Amino acid sequence: MKNNRFSFSRSSRRDFLRAGMYGVCVTAGASIPVPVFGQAAAQLARQAKADGKILVVLELSGGNDGLNTLVPYGDDAYYKHRPMLGIPRNQVRKIDDHFGFSGGMAGFERLYKDGKLAIVHGCGYDNPSFSHFTSMAYWHTAAPNSGEEYGWVGRLADSLAPEAPPNFLVNIAARQSLAVRSRKHVPVVFDDPNKFSQEKFYDEKAVLESVPDNPQVDNPARRFLLDTARSAKDASVLVREAWAKYHSPVDYGITGLDLPKVAALIDAGMPTRLFYTSYRNNAFDTHVFQNDVHKRLLTYASDAVSAFLTDLERIGRADDVVVMIFSEFGRRVPENVNLGTDHGTANLMFVAGKQVKGGQYGAIPSLTKLDQGDNLIHTTDFRRVYATMISGWLGLRDTHPLLNGDFETFDLFQPRKA
Amino acid sequence: MLRRMAFCGFLLAGVPAMAQVAGPAKWQNDLTPIGPADWNYDFAAHLLERAGFGGTPEEIKALAAMTPNQAIARLVRFEGADASHLPPFDHSGVHDPGLEPFPPSRPAVTDLAKEKGEALGIKVKPSGNRRLQPIVDEFFYWLRASALETNRVAYWWANRMLTSPRPLEEKMALFWHGHFVSNEAKVRDYRKLLNQLELFQKQGTGNFRDLTVAVAQDPAMLSFLDAGVNVKGASNENFAREIMELFTMGVGHYTEKDIREAARAFTGWNYVDVKFVVNKDQHDDGEKTFLGKTGHFDGVDVINTIMEQPATADYIAGKIYRFFVREDLSPELQKQLGSVLRQNHYEIAPLLEKIFLSRDFYSQASVGTRIMGPVELAVSTYKKLGLTSIPGVPDFNSATGALGQLLFSAPTVAGWAQGQSWITPGLLLERGNFARDILFPDISFLPPDRFTGGGEVRRVAERIREGMDITTATMDDSKSGARAESNLNADRDEEFNTRYGSFRGSQMAIERVKAIPRDTAQVNLSRMVLKENLKNTTEVVNYLVHRFMRVPPSDSTRQKLVAFLNNELGTTDIAVAQTYMEYSLRLVLHLIMSQPEYQLS
Repeated sequence: MKNNRFSFSRSSRRDFLRAGMYGVCVTAGASIPVPVFGQAAAQLARQAKADGKILVVLELSGGNDGLNTLVPYGDDAYYKHRPMLGIPRNQVRKIDDHFGFSGGMAGFERLYKDGKLAIVHGCGYDNPSFSHFTSMAYWHTAAPNSGEEYGWVGRLADSLAPEAPPNFLVNIAARQSLAVRSRKHVPVVFDDPNKFSQEKFYDEKAVLESVPDNPQVDNPARRFLLDTARSAKDASVLVREAWAKYHSPVDYGITGLDLPKVAALIDAGMPTRLFYTSYRNNAFDTHVFQNDVHKRLLTYASDAVSAFLTDLERIGRADDVVVMIFSEFGRRVPENVNLGTDHGTANLMFVAGKQVKGGQYGAIPSLTKLDQGDNLIHTTDFRRVYATMISGWLGLRDTHPLLNGDFETFDLFQPRKA
Repeated sequence: MLRRMAFCGFLLAGVPAMAQVAGPAKWQNDLTPIGPADWNYDFAAHLLERAGFGGTPEEIKALAAMTPNQAIARLVRFEGADASHLPPFDHSGVHDPGLEPFPPSRPAVTDLAKEKGEALGIKVKPSGNRRLQPIVDEFFYWLRASALETNRVAYWWANRMLTSPRPLEEKMALFWHGHFVSNEAKVRDYRKLLNQLELFQKQGTGNFRDLTVAVAQDPAMLSFLDAGVNVKGASNENFAREIMELFTMGVGHYTEKDIREAARAFTGWNYVDVKFVVNKDQHDDGEKTFLGKTGHFDGVDVINTIMEQPATADYIAGKIYRFFVREDLSPELQKQLGSVLRQNHYEIAPLLEKIFLSRDFYSQASVGTRIMGPVELAVSTYKKLGLTSIPGVPDFNSATGALGQLLFSAPTVAGWAQGQSWITPGLLLERGNFARDILFPDISFLPPDRFTGGGEVRRVAERIREGMDITTATMDDSKSGARAESNLNADRDEEFNTRYGSFRGSQMAIERVKAIPRDTAQVNLSRMVLKENLKNTTEVVNYLVHRFMRVPPSDSTRQKLVAFLNNELGTTDIAVAQTYMEYSLRLVLHLIMSQPEYQLS
């Protein structure tokens, strides 16, 4: 009953939205010409129904300190390495007799206890880089120590939808992430939905808002630009409309990150299968007097992710979406002299969603056997988690060409219903 | 062909020649030189677009008046063109001798200070609170000053792109800047980046082998690729790997063992301040086997061996071709271009001459099919407007950065992906917004080199001015009582405050880094229209389309533009409108620059 009610409400919302975009052409049938963006919207809605599995990637930019995120409070070595910075046993949100979340992460604790949060331990790669820039590029391309120019999410879009339909790949950010750079797709990249528009003077509106030209052209670059221009026009209208119509009662906390925007687009029936978004401004780049600020960042992230899943329930799409969370590296195990930590290596990854089999995956890295730089030795190649998203969640069997190698997947999702 | 026919139907009064006429389709992949009979205004315009940053009709006409051989020689063999009037970079004088060697991180600075009692040329205070603060301030000062000064270097370079009588010198430097990538965020020294740029300007069309050696010994590159940690017994493969994978051969032409052996050959290569040094005691002089040869190789030997590989010439010739001509390059044509480079012993200029003179370069597949990168777009826009300096408003670096190409800040070691990767829906709209910022400057513009630092820096600055103590002023959130308590606890022990250092460093930097002039673009479209003696709005639209676009928009868009201008001016007659038409002309030019086709070169 509940699902029916939600799906009813979803389709009526979409109809409402489409009606808004059709304007006077609200009763348009197939034989009546409709504005280009109206046609696009109708096409979008059709595609959205075809297959709804959606991956949302959330990047905790700046190098999140995994040891103070999921605290190994049962390991004395943790407190030896972090006499000042270690989070006391009585302040962690215990999930078992070894680990507990940082104090503000009530959202993650609840997700974990409800079985909707997978924790993957010890994620990293060989010959780790301690540069934010370099390491992030490795995570973005899934190709450490190479000059791969396309992002793994972009390549994933190319594999899932080689015909590159519009609005398949959305990156909410001030600048396009390397992760979504694609050979075939034009990722929809925007920051503030209200500003995803061409700035124009009053007099120019008629020309700039008119239906774009679609001449026959054989110049491929011109073809691409005309397509992008139409996509920009389509997407910017859809995004602005979706955002204007979105009113959620769910409390996303202080920042909410960009996840309410993702929810708004999913709710509006955008045919997007891949969303990419980050915690803004490299926020996790904390080095000194780290604990208070770090705890606050984690609280905001945890609030936002758990609210997002609640919101997905509300709009009836919780079964269709998972969120994968990562950071470009963890932190050095011993604290530094400024009550902070320096750039490190292996780190946790999280996967959250209603269809996720909650629990812990991957071997826990040792806190006593560290590498020369006092860093964790990674136990899980991060591309195993990517491969799990690609094949386990999105159903693309062969991940080898995409990841340039074979990476064993985790059994991370509930069995699919027949 | 279709494109040509469509525009032959147009009457273009006041326009010297038809825009966008390319050679026949069968010229594609044909390296035969074009003849004097083929040469015309449009070919000259195409050449100037690609070998430079476009031109005004006057510049194009001057080139069209030569033979193709003369025109190409003038661009490629530019030594004869006098560029001595171009000023050298005007240093602000921000570098203090004590800064060298600049430690890799703030913790490294404070550790050094605790150990030695001084760092960055500044002594630790003997007693009192925050004894390391002046040193931390200096650390942040240099980070900020170097970043700001790098923006001035970018301005200096952009002005050369706009005004140099040797546009290919700058275009080729731009190519190498995206090939041999270094990044200010990592190098943290504008001087090294300036030196590297000057190397690209000086040797960009010279010998590729010599350039590769010079880059491998260039302090900016050595710093960017962590050469300092590549020492005998503990070689770091990063540098050797990038040299082979990205700079010379491309993947698939060497083994992991070749990388390890090459890394040994480069051990001990390092820099002191802005000079290349070889630390002999860190160099592994043992025998190495690299790409089938064995010997006591050093880095130069490795590069010489790389140059003997056919893959190297093919790789680099192909990359140059893709930058200057078009992205789709057949393996056969790439091999031909590789042979040209090999036959000329890796001299770049003869390869460029071969390309620019070829029928392929003027074929339909090549003309008007390249999406300009943001720097090219900005410079060519200013060039076509007839400007003689890069405007300060909008800020060149903010604008090109927002479009995805901040100079000296390539996103990865692989540089900027070209072609379609420049464009996203948001960025395409942003390109139109950039044009608007030129033609209608924002009267609330804040210069980013004065209004500097992030929100946090400004928040700290405000609180300090209000008379707060450093601890309170640098607190993240003054509303939390608990946090205030913990910050107070920390303050009792702290030897420095990083947030304060970040603020103070920014303040010191803006005192010493010279300001970028903030003049707006001096545009006078009315004068342009009157000078060309354009009679009516159709002629005006046709003239502007032809002057500013290499690929014109569709007929229906052109008609919309004319109708728009008629409506704005209240007449089709320029004689009637000439006293009040400037604003309307700018609107119509903004519409032209907002067309998808405006991105094409």
